[in-house]
Amino acid sequence: MQKIILLVLLLLSFVQASKEARLGGFDGFVERMGASTRELGRGNTGSADTLAMPGAYWNPALLAFRKNIAYSLHAEKRDLDRAGGSLGIEGKIGSRMGIGAAVLYRGDWDFEVIDEDDKTLGNAAPFFSMMYLGFSYRLTRRDALGISLSMSYDNLGISKYYDDIDVEDGYRSPLTFNIGFIRQLNAKWSFSVVVRNLSFDENLTARWTKTTSGDNSLESTEGVRPKTLQVGLGYRSVLFGRSAALWLEALDYQLSEVFLAFDPDAHYWTARLGAEYEVIPKGMLRVGIDGENFTAGLGYAFDIRIGKKKWPFEVNYALVYESEADLWNPLSFALRGYIP
Amino acid sequence: MFRIVLFFCVSYLFAAGELLVSNYSFAATSFGKGKVLVFSRGDANGGFSLLEFGTGAPLRILSSEFSIFENDVEYTAVHDGILSDTKAELRRVPFVKAGKLGSVLPMYELDSTGLFRKPAGFISMRGVEEGGLSYIPLELPRISYLDTSFSLMDNALSAFAYDSLSNVLWSAMGTSGLLRYDVSKGFGNVQEKTLVLNKKEQRLDTLTYGMELKFSNTPSILGLALQPEKNVLWLATSTGLWVQEETQSAKLKLISGLEKSRVTGVWLGGTPTQIIAETSEYKSGHLENKLWRSLDGKNFAEVVFRDTTGKKIKGVYDGTDYSVSDVAFVGKQVFVAVRTVGGAESGLLKLDSLGAIPWEAEENQWLYGFEAGVVDRNTIILSVNDWLLPNGGTGLAVTTYGNGISVSADSGKTWQPVLNQAAVGKNLSSIRMVPSVIAADGESLIAYNLSKESKVTIEIFSYDMRKVRTIVKDALRPASAGRSTNAAEDLWDGRDDMGRAVTMGIYYVRVKDNHGHVGWGKVMTLGGR
Repeated sequence: MQKIILLVLLLLSFVQASKEARLGGFDGFVERMGASTRELGRGNTGSADTLAMPGAYWNPALLAFRKNIAYSLHAEKRDLDRAGGSLGIEGKIGSRMGIGAAVLYRGDWDFEVIDEDDKTLGNAAPFFSMMYLGFSYRLTRRDALGISLSMSYDNLGISKYYDDIDVEDGYRSPLTFNIGFIRQLNAKWSFSVVVRNLSFDENLTARWTKTTSGDNSLESTEGVRPKTLQVGLGYRSVLFGRSAALWLEALDYQLSEVFLAFDPDAHYWTARLGAEYEVIPKGMLRVGIDGENFTAGLGYAFDIRIGKKKWPFEVNYALVYESEADLWNPLSFALRGYIP
Repeated sequence: MFRIVLFFCVSYLFAAGELLVSNYSFAATSFGKGKVLVFSRGDANGGFSLLEFGTGAPLRILSSEFSIFENDVEYTAVHDGILSDTKAELRRVPFVKAGKLGSVLPMYELDSTGLFRKPAGFISMRGVEEGGLSYIPLELPRISYLDTSFSLMDNALSAFAYDSLSNVLWSAMGTSGLLRYDVSKGFGNVQEKTLVLNKKEQRLDTLTYGMELKFSNTPSILGLALQPEKNVLWLATSTGLWVQEETQSAKLKLISGLEKSRVTGVWLGGTPTQIIAETSEYKSGHLENKLWRSLDGKNFAEVVFRDTTGKKIKGVYDGTDYSVSDVAFVGKQVFVAVRTVGGAESGLLKLDSLGAIPWEAEENQWLYGFEAGVVDRNTIILSVNDWLLPNGGTGLAVTTYGNGISVSADSGKTWQPVLNQAAVGKNLSSIRMVPSVIAADGESLIAYNLSKESKVTIEIFSYDMRKVRTIVKDALRPASAGRSTNAAEDLWDGRDDMGRAVTMGIYYVRVKDNHGHVGWGKVMTLGGR
């Protein structure tokens, strides 16, 4: 237990270690905000949990641990008209391999388009999405390697309001890839490493040009999705006769376009911490911290018999307090299950 | 021949807070006591706004009327190169009161490339008729070129002068010479003729069909001004500054000292009368601009620039690459609106009897613009005009690229912005970003309202609610019936606290005051570099 406390303190010390970098100004918020309510309720931790879904997003190595076809669906509404969601499906191939796909979505359903003359032109609903396709191979019974291909597609939805400028609405990133590893150290401990947002560029940096207008009337810009190192640790135990777990993740976002930057100012470190406890049989209570956000969640697993088969389901709920902005977001719901 | 092609009489009821057709205001002129007529051209449309001010300070708007060019009308009063044209005379929008013609502006049609770069005549804003503002586009006949090497825009109307005694409108038309438009016998019997300057004979010749002209002997007419008390016409030409020797005479005299210069404009006014002229010509591969002034109507001297200690500084005007976009006269003072190509620098030069008046500025101490309080937002100043205040005095009106107009009733000591402002909710209940979509190097104004004086903190958040920028922290802002926004500070330029352009996307703007009120706005950036 002392080791865990020490590790928690070490990880939390990473939070906001660099004051120079402003992560919010970089691409990749869809990925940073996580996917699925179950994991959100415990601080957006999932990379070291073989049950986390969608596996193609959290850690492609998780896919090798699927025994059935699994699906996950989540939807949430956050303050300021922000809507989000994710959809994932995954399953095994043979005895050692897994495959999975996921789509993550974030958007704003009420963006008022105001021109330079202070006139409202209308309302837009911009959205931002990420798609993942993951593969995994189980090296042994306890550890696996995985890779996922990912790509973003954003649509600003504003071009209809600009007659005299050929504004582009849709932007697609080039293909990037993520590498994941997980090891079940023993019955209690699990460990994971995920490296995100690597490109097929020479520096492996996910960087691309965004052409903002078809007639060159606007200056083009660039997108950079930071390379991310995500190290996870999981601890499962039994407390008062019910299951309990603690999840930790340390993330390093490299805010530089070089292959590897050693300047601390080019890095943004943050940590995630989550805990869950089975308060009633199959009913989980979760709490967590994701950087400066505080989360809490509930989950309940149940089976429905359809014909001769039992279909396992799990429903989850989470709320998020975005402390820096002082916003409460109590509306995140999810459903997941397995096809027997 | 002129022919009337269209007549519109459109009066719009605008939403509350809309005072101008657009905040992109290019020209303004006096339209009777207490009234300013403004021409604006925004993304959606262009048109006229007539503002009526009441007496007292600060200036209070009593009413505003509009006349809009419909979107499908293929002409406008401001050509598409107004900011970028390298020729000084083409970066102006002349707008003068012209008796029976109302107020007149140039008119441009679309050229073969789809730009408003084809001089087509002029627009006569008649004023209020039958309850609405009305204007008449008066089309020019097909312009005959003196030399085929010239472009269409070399025939643009770059200056007007109206002779109220004889009801004649004079127009400088570049290589096409000088237009004399006589409306003394009414609109049904307009007498118009084109005159060209015969340099060798030093006279104005009436252009007739089949007349042979040599360009070397026929300078382009780039600017003009009328001396009302003498009814004498001054002509700024590509070869010197000329003046009529006698009233109503065709004979001209070349002003010594400027006889070889390319004079791009001449302006006249004030009490006693002063004459301002600008020369602009390429010398040794660079554009040399000079500003001249005559206090006696005969001798011209370069305008003196002195620093705050009184020491004369040489080469200021040329060194800054300014050109004159307009000149206004208030008593003995002269206000010269200048700007560089593209508008990176713009403002007013204030001239007294000694020269340009300096002020305690960090960089350009002769330029009165945003830092000097002429405008409350860092926008391009496009023109300056004098107008008749409600009390009969002389006011000033400055037009801007995106911030409406600024008016002054005290000879430029204080200024008051007049622009379209949509309503924002009380006590930060709504925050309005203007505009809400910005491109690289763009800026968005954060508009909000406070019911009592407060300390305000404004921060920008990314979609995932990570703070990327603090705009102001505990900044004092006044209570206001309209907006409490400080237009000089409450802006976001799409960059984070480190000055790095944030990536394309939607960002959230939080405004907090020290009384517990919190408001949120939204802005989208298309990214920068």
